[in-house]
Amino acid sequence: MEQQQKYPVHRGLYEVAKTLEEPFYKMLSTWLGGVFEAADQGKPILFNQFTIFSELTTALGIQPLSPELWQVMCLQLNPMACCESIDAAQDAGIHPELCSANKAIIGDLMLEKIPPPSMVVLPTFPCDNSKITYQTVAAITGAPTYFLDCPYWMDEGEAMDYWVQQYKGLISFMEEHSGKKLDWDRMKEVAEESNRAMDYWIESQELLKRRPLPVNGPAVAGYMAGLTSLGTPEATAAVKSVRDDMLAKMEAGETAVPDEKARVVWFYYPVFWDGGLSAWMAEQGVVIPVGLVGYFNSGPIDTTSPESIIRGLARRGLETPMGRQGRGVSDLWIEDCLNAVEQWKADAVILAGHPGCKWLRGCYGLFRDIARERGIPVTIYDVDLFDPRLTSAEQSRAIIGEYLESVVLNK
Amino acid sequence: MGALQDLMRPATFIMNPYIDRWKEKGGKVIGYFCTYVPVEVIHAAGIMPYRIRATGSTTSEMGDLYTSHLTCTFCRHTMDQAMKGEYKFLDGIVALFSCDHIRRMFDAWRYGKIEVPHSPYYLRCLSVPFKVDDLAVQWMKGEIERFKQSLESHFGVTITEEALRQSIRTYNEKRRLLMNLYDLRKKEEPPISGTEALAILIASTAMFPEEFNQLLRQALDELGQREGISGYRARLLLAGGELDNPDYIKLIEDLGGLVVSDFLCYGTRDFWDLVDEDSEPVAALAERYIERISCPRMVNYPARDEFVKNLVRDFNADGIIVQRLMYCDNWGCEGARTQWEAKKNGVPCMVLEREYVMSAVGQMRTRVQAFLETVGR
Repeated sequence: MEQQQKYPVHRGLYEVAKTLEEPFYKMLSTWLGGVFEAADQGKPILFNQFTIFSELTTALGIQPLSPELWQVMCLQLNPMACCESIDAAQDAGIHPELCSANKAIIGDLMLEKIPPPSMVVLPTFPCDNSKITYQTVAAITGAPTYFLDCPYWMDEGEAMDYWVQQYKGLISFMEEHSGKKLDWDRMKEVAEESNRAMDYWIESQELLKRRPLPVNGPAVAGYMAGLTSLGTPEATAAVKSVRDDMLAKMEAGETAVPDEKARVVWFYYPVFWDGGLSAWMAEQGVVIPVGLVGYFNSGPIDTTSPESIIRGLARRGLETPMGRQGRGVSDLWIEDCLNAVEQWKADAVILAGHPGCKWLRGCYGLFRDIARERGIPVTIYDVDLFDPRLTSAEQSRAIIGEYLESVVLNK
Repeated sequence: MGALQDLMRPATFIMNPYIDRWKEKGGKVIGYFCTYVPVEVIHAAGIMPYRIRATGSTTSEMGDLYTSHLTCTFCRHTMDQAMKGEYKFLDGIVALFSCDHIRRMFDAWRYGKIEVPHSPYYLRCLSVPFKVDDLAVQWMKGEIERFKQSLESHFGVTITEEALRQSIRTYNEKRRLLMNLYDLRKKEEPPISGTEALAILIASTAMFPEEFNQLLRQALDELGQREGISGYRARLLLAGGELDNPDYIKLIEDLGGLVVSDFLCYGTRDFWDLVDEDSEPVAALAERYIERISCPRMVNYPARDEFVKNLVRDFNADGIIVQRLMYCDNWGCEGARTQWEAKKNGVPCMVLEREYVMSAVGQMRTRVQAFLETVGR
């Protein structure tokens, strides 16, 4: 296949996104354009797993491509978009119980539906799926792969020092495999720009603590910036525009729904193929102010020296959505979820049971006991975030609808 | 009764007479789940290390309260046994992020969901690196020091350097003896089946190594007198994760396969690499536990591929069976990759999914039979 004919779905998205004026779409189109340019011209592409932010790729001028985000984007056009790749991975012997996002990555590479990486970077969290999948990716593509090895228990002493060393190794790895040298003045600029974007993201999250909610859904723009182009003015503008939009709506007295009846914490990723689910819930007066994405509170990167920048990047690397909660004991996720309920003044919790996510499912039983003690209604329902064949949109609405009607709205 | 028969018995129950005798004397026992726990440190504290399994479990309904239907059945059954009090002989538990299932099961202990025999109860989750490099070895050294100190503090003992050196020598002796056992399996007519070998490996984790070494020495003598096994249809390498039930191998061997070697954590991954006896002991342990042949929790898959390839060659295996507990992601992808590698090397390979408790036996027999048809001599 001619290079320019590959990835038609994403190229189509790119063509649409680049005609849109909103900064958020400008950020996405710039990123997608960069991916296609690199793929078409044989420039290096770095696979950044979904908990790896992009400051270093920005500073080094390497094109990042988060394979999980690649899946999410095509699901916006077609709920079944990942199924062919999922099936291809399973046909090749990958076990069906692997996270469907990971199966889709393997299948995408087999079917040449994603540009192949020149290098791969990921931490050893949040799960077995990720670690073993990216080893499989390395085996399939031959791409050099760097794992940031995270201690199970984090502290400000030896554990943090070890983690920082991982980032130093990462810089050497990226320099070696890109042939580029990190310019620390440029890195400083990127870190400062990135800090601005993260501030807007955190501010957006804070605005979503207001009741009634100004805009429905967790604040995701900062995360999208994180995966694609953090440290660029385009990324900062995108995150700022979302914040500005919230402020404008609040000033105009607008709210997400006319009559907010309940707020639900959905402490996971959304069902990516079912973009209408939160709108359907909103029709019943139920809003979602926070999820795993939209629960981020990393402090700024200290840019006074290369050492402080590396330490800041490392610290931020521990705070990414799901990375923060999945890297250690159950307490990390449980405490964050309880905190989200309290801080965002939620009435109930919905826990999506994505079948691949064994680390998280292992927390649910412990969380359920605590929630029961505290009088927080909780439901767990099985849904695959990347594959509608497990639970359909209709089934989701039936399950959630019953929960909302019988438990949440009657509370 | 011979030593070989003695060594078969611990695999059939959670408890065994060696533990009973030790507990009667007031001895302590610490349970662990994974071969990445440096058992020498526990041993040097005068405590018996015991690898936890759910032998004999038939149901998991209590365990299911804090696991999920996506948790592997080893953990669900182990949790169930724990909630029923089957591990009350343990004076503590050591875990690590072996996999998502085990780390979450351990959290149930941490959250007090499992009744423990006394308080404070020793619970420790080690932070074992996933990478194999010098930094990881350095980290592991610190982690072993912290582990050692926590044992000393909790149990009121002192782990001297000499005690640690002695434990290293004892465990190395165990590893050498097991190597001798595996050398016998390289023979055209091995005197021991895979079923028996697994039972011996299980025994090695359920008693003090000194007792085990003595029994294994005698058993090796007995095996020297034994007639070798012949007439089998294929020599097999068995790979995969947790397997602590010899009946699964018996199923394969009853159909004419002979398991001559393995890439199991009750197997080569547990004993293949020695600890350097001449170096400072904590540093030597750190090096061994990071640089040993890895399991898929570690991110250095090429070393594993090479190791399996060499095992196939050295044990003259005709094929590979990867046994995998359902929902095990590590062995899910690793199994597929092992198949891809085996295909490249012209070695037949099958992935056999299974549950912890022997079930779907008919289906497994059919699959193994079909596989033996393709690889049989």
